[in-house]
Amino acid sequence: MHLDFSILPRFADALAYGLWLTVRLTLICIVTGGALGFLLALARRSGSRLLRAVSTVYVEFFRGTPVLIQLFWIFFCLPILLGVELSSFVSGVIALTLYTGAITSETFRSSLGTVGREQMDACVALGLPARVRITSVILPQALLRATPTLLSNAISLFKESSLVSAVGMADLMFVGQNISNNTARPVEVLTAVALIYFAVAFPLTRAVAVLEGRILRKLAV
Amino acid sequence: MDYVLDLGAVTRHFGPLLEGLWVTIQLTLAANAMGLVLGFAVALLVLSPVRLVRLPAVAFVEFFRCTPAIVQIVWFFYCVPMLFNLYLGSMTMGILALGLNLAAFNGEAYRAAIQAVPREQRDAAVALGLSPLQSTLHVILPTALRLAMPVLLTNGIVIFQQSALVAIVAVPDLMYEAKSLATKTYRPIETFTLVALVYFAVSFPVSQVVGWLERRRAVAMA
Amino acid sequence: MFDGTRDQTALVRMEGLHKSYGAVKVLQGLDIEMKRGDRVVVIGPSGGGKSTLLRVLMGLEKVDAGNISFGGRPYITVRNGKTVIDTEVRRSIGMVFQHYTLFPHLSVLQNLVLAPCKVNGEGTASAKARAQALLDRFGLGARAGAYPAQLSGGQKQRVAIARALMLDPKLMLFDEVTSALDPELVAEVEQVMLELAAQAMPMVIVTHDMWFARNIASRVIFCAGGVVVEDGPPEQVLGKPIHERTREFINRVFHIRA
Repeated sequence: MHLDFSILPRFADALAYGLWLTVRLTLICIVTGGALGFLLALARRSGSRLLRAVSTVYVEFFRGTPVLIQLFWIFFCLPILLGVELSSFVSGVIALTLYTGAITSETFRSSLGTVGREQMDACVALGLPARVRITSVILPQALLRATPTLLSNAISLFKESSLVSAVGMADLMFVGQNISNNTARPVEVLTAVALIYFAVAFPLTRAVAVLEGRILRKLAV
Repeated sequence: MDYVLDLGAVTRHFGPLLEGLWVTIQLTLAANAMGLVLGFAVALLVLSPVRLVRLPAVAFVEFFRCTPAIVQIVWFFYCVPMLFNLYLGSMTMGILALGLNLAAFNGEAYRAAIQAVPREQRDAAVALGLSPLQSTLHVILPTALRLAMPVLLTNGIVIFQQSALVAIVAVPDLMYEAKSLATKTYRPIETFTLVALVYFAVSFPVSQVVGWLERRRAVAMA
Repeated sequence: MFDGTRDQTALVRMEGLHKSYGAVKVLQGLDIEMKRGDRVVVIGPSGGGKSTLLRVLMGLEKVDAGNISFGGRPYITVRNGKTVIDTEVRRSIGMVFQHYTLFPHLSVLQNLVLAPCKVNGEGTASAKARAQALLDRFGLGARAGAYPAQLSGGQKQRVAIARALMLDPKLMLFDEVTSALDPELVAEVEQVMLELAAQAMPMVIVTHDMWFARNIASRVIFCAGGVVVEDGPPEQVLGKPIHERTREFINRVFHIRA
């Protein structure tokens, strides 16, 4: 068959519009999902049995089901249950926030677990009160250790956000599919879309790898 | 809330959902078989000292890891038939698309595991007079497989969940049947909740096994 | 802060300490009385309870029975099976660990000033000045801005000692502080400890290094099976032990070394 990539520049604006929605969605949900994840991680380590049980079920459920079905649920079921119309952007943000919260809570939880008992001993030997132990010793180390994984989570979210195309949000994937259908040029258009995702995600993964090396070297004591 | 739940509307159509689940399971198992074998080959290529072998393998892995699975699947379903003038049936296409994705992720898991085999193990194999092939076969491989096992299993469950994406290209899997049932019965809440629980019921026990394996290994290494 | 120096007799009195991890009994009725100015080196076979003794004394481990007083004041007691620790007393004890346990996310200077500022409410400027003076004294003045990962093992351990000293402890505990070090780095840490000894800092030291023990100790305690087997001046315990079990241990250790 004959490939013609020269059709692409015509659609640069549309693709850029889609990418902008993808990026906005990703950035918002990194913040909201990260905050939710942090709270969930605290809940999973809390003294209250109920809080622990609820947060554990939540995390396991969102990790144990396809993101696509979560999206469908939020888009089609939540409005019925709440009795209000939600804009698709709000629905997308809610769905991806709930999912990202579950994923990042695991990151926070495991990084809290990696701060060794010896660090705790040192805190006791220095007479540091519980509040100082947490705010000055445990949390900064846990956050530092969690940073690379959190950034990887963010890159995953950038990719996962493409699922919103399945519920009609005009993100990069959706715009790409539309152009592909209208021009009957799927090879050129979908390849371009894949390359755009790659061009954003790949450099970020390299940067995270470098950062991770630095952090691990710093914490390797 | 004024909505009255009617689970009967969904359970009356259990047949198609079960068929969909069976398709999903077949997709998952076949993609895993492909991912486990091909992934190991990919890892060996990625670790090759020959640049010409290594670079394409690295590109393969990075490309699949750095683009959304949904883009890969849609690309595969639309572009492969056009580019190569071949269409293999939606099931085979689904397996290939998911299997290639899994091969990239498993390849990374195998690579990390092979590199995590302690240097001393290789040194000991050399000191015992094992040939490079022997030491790879009898020392590196078994250790690497054991190290990679939890990640391979996790990747296996992830692909079970990712397989829902083939619904978008009209493969009649569990997700696809759920969508059409929700539309047909106007009962999205019952349908999607039930189907979510089905997905959960499969992946949760497997993830528990992975957690148990990891804890056991943490104890064994301590 | 609690001042343990007023009492003129015993600094630390441990009575009938019992401690077990599940079925393993680590301390089985340990009695030790330590006078001011004592530099006690605890030796003994692994699993004999040396490190546990230090950890209990630091308030890091619970005990099943027994009590400890510090400067005549109750420090650790067991009530209804629960270990009660007077944290105010605990603050007058400092400890250095085998694996440094510096805070990796903080610079050397920040490691030193954290506790004085956060616990004692000392001003940052004054804490930093004291920390810098201490680092200068230990030959680490130039490394104040470095992070732990950038230091050698010997430097890390000297920083750890300085960090503990920032709180003006009345007693210092050293738990195998040179065991993780490369042999050529041991001396610089021992030098710092000898310097503290010269200033009459009371210490309890757990070590495998019998030569260093002889140099620094005013008193050596041989612990085995969770009890004190022999207790006396270094010349006796390390040179002419009275007890058969001590003699066996000393012979074995020196034999391996020689």
